[in-house]
Amino acid sequence: MANFMTVFQKELADHFGSKRFLILFALVIILSTISAYQGAMALKESFSANSGMTFIRAMSNRSFLAIFSGYFGSGFTFTTLLMYFGPIIGLALGFDAVSKERSSGSLSVLLSQPIFRDSVINGKFLAGITAIGLMVVSTVGIMVGLAIPIVGFGPTFDETMRIVVFSLLTVLYMGFWLALSILFSTAFKKTTTSILAIISTFLFCMFVISIVAGLVSEALVSVPDYPSFVSTPGGSSYRPNQAAMQAYNDAQQRQSALRIGIMSISPNFLFQDVSQFLFTGTHTYGSYSSSGSMTPSTDMLQCWPQFTAIAVAMVVCFAAAYMLFLRREIRPGG
Amino acid sequence: MQTNKLTKVYGKTFKAVDNLDLTVNKGEIVGFLGQNGAGKTTTLLMLTGLSVPTSGTANVAGYDIIKDSRNIRKIAGLLPEGAGYYEDMTARQNLCYICQLNDVPRLEVEGRVKELLEAVGLTQWANQKVEKFSRGMKQRLGIAEVLVKKPKIAFFDEPTIGLDPKGTKEVRELLIKLNKEQGLTILLSSHLLHEIQQTCQKVSIIRKGHLIASDTIENLSSTLGGEETSTIEFELTETPTDLLSEIQSIDGISSVNLENGKLYVSMDKNVARDVSETITKHKSTILLMKPRERSLEEIFLKYYEKEGD
Repeated sequence: MANFMTVFQKELADHFGSKRFLILFALVIILSTISAYQGAMALKESFSANSGMTFIRAMSNRSFLAIFSGYFGSGFTFTTLLMYFGPIIGLALGFDAVSKERSSGSLSVLLSQPIFRDSVINGKFLAGITAIGLMVVSTVGIMVGLAIPIVGFGPTFDETMRIVVFSLLTVLYMGFWLALSILFSTAFKKTTTSILAIISTFLFCMFVISIVAGLVSEALVSVPDYPSFVSTPGGSSYRPNQAAMQAYNDAQQRQSALRIGIMSISPNFLFQDVSQFLFTGTHTYGSYSSSGSMTPSTDMLQCWPQFTAIAVAMVVCFAAAYMLFLRREIRPGG
Repeated sequence: MQTNKLTKVYGKTFKAVDNLDLTVNKGEIVGFLGQNGAGKTTTLLMLTGLSVPTSGTANVAGYDIIKDSRNIRKIAGLLPEGAGYYEDMTARQNLCYICQLNDVPRLEVEGRVKELLEAVGLTQWANQKVEKFSRGMKQRLGIAEVLVKKPKIAFFDEPTIGLDPKGTKEVRELLIKLNKEQGLTILLSSHLLHEIQQTCQKVSIIRKGHLIASDTIENLSSTLGGEETSTIEFELTETPTDLLSEIQSIDGISSVNLENGKLYVSMDKNVARDVSETITKHKSTILLMKPRERSLEEIFLKYYEKEGD
């Protein structure tokens, strides 16, 4: 445990002293501050145009959360920002965690000390998670602190709980990318190979998956042509054939469900879906929505599968990295 | 330290170390010699628990290398070939980190680091980042890291590789000093055979993962002596050309060479008396006459030749 803490402290100090982490941290703070300002201003304009704050608060129990979700028509949103930056930050913290030490020769020196080998990988991962956690908490804190004076009210208890859940989700999401980066860094000898593998995975999860999901769902579930209009019995109007319309709608729903199912293997999609649900009460594809009176606990019940999937993906990636690291032959410089 | 049929197989067939039986006694400095790929580094990694043997056993200071590898790493230091350091940290920070990993009490860390920096001559660069260090300075830092735990035994893998003659001499003197003053047992792997000859009391030669010779340099040389042509080194007042040709004509002489003013006469049978008489006949005086000492390089190559290389 003592050695684990030594590695953890050193790695954490490395992160907070690392230029790449500080640059990304600063960028996230700047962009999220702009996003919070835009969200708060949009919210303020919205309640001045709609009979004041009371109307807005009555309309939704998530109105304050608009500073994160851009619900009131603000520009880019914090959730979108994190969906793109989360993987980059995870990557920046973990892509060379093991490969750099291996190629520089410091890993063999480190492991020739009386420490358990798992202390090294555990220390690296937990230092990364801690850095991410501190980044998320401070960013969310700054956003909330900035928005309160602008909109004139703070988050309710339910909204605070949703912010806490969202922060936890963000840590898990970025933690997944960190664990994946450490896995690739352990699996590949060269740091360049590791970074290319992570970027490829990121691009696949971000862009390619939606194309693949679209193609596969269209190939497997064919949707009939939109039903032709037939005249009503009185001949006064035309409307689609009821049976054909039903078949058309069913096929579309099946195709959409399949597409969403395939896209759900992407943590990016899951993160976007859950965060949107937490902030607006609707899922990404809007096929079902919660009523405005739902509590954070019922929200959690609705998005529990997605939440768990991200957590499991992170744990699986870290477990694979852990096993690989423990079994790997250590040779100086390679 | 003792290994018993220690074997390491990579993949399905490549035997990096093959039934190695190696012994290093307490307080010895032993040179560990072998060609590239002979299995030296793999052996050192197994002895410190960084690599798991395929079969065989070994113990270091009474600890089994498989069951007690962590205990071994508490009392045994390793300076691997191409050892790396945290370049963005200073020498002091690197040593403090290693102290913490070795559970050096917090209050003792500063004193221990100061002491080690002095021992390896890095005191004035203590607060400089390692990225600015020369190769020699890094090697000295590596030796300091090995000494952090006050080891009973230390394994050095090519500690002088890439160093200039001055750096090499400093490292060699440091190792000898540690052995003499602290009784540190050292297993030193190196390709620089003259360095081994000047540093080690004993050498072990490994070929294709198998130990082919292990003894003092003198004993290894004399073991080869019976089978080989003997050479005598002469230092003379004068060495006229006709003297060399006359010595060459003596029955039993295989070669005569003049190198750096010294005459080396190789003979198939003992005709030293005839050679001396010939020298005297040419009015030259013998200042020195002794059997030529084999260099470790010659010994090493002879043992490899015996094995068929």
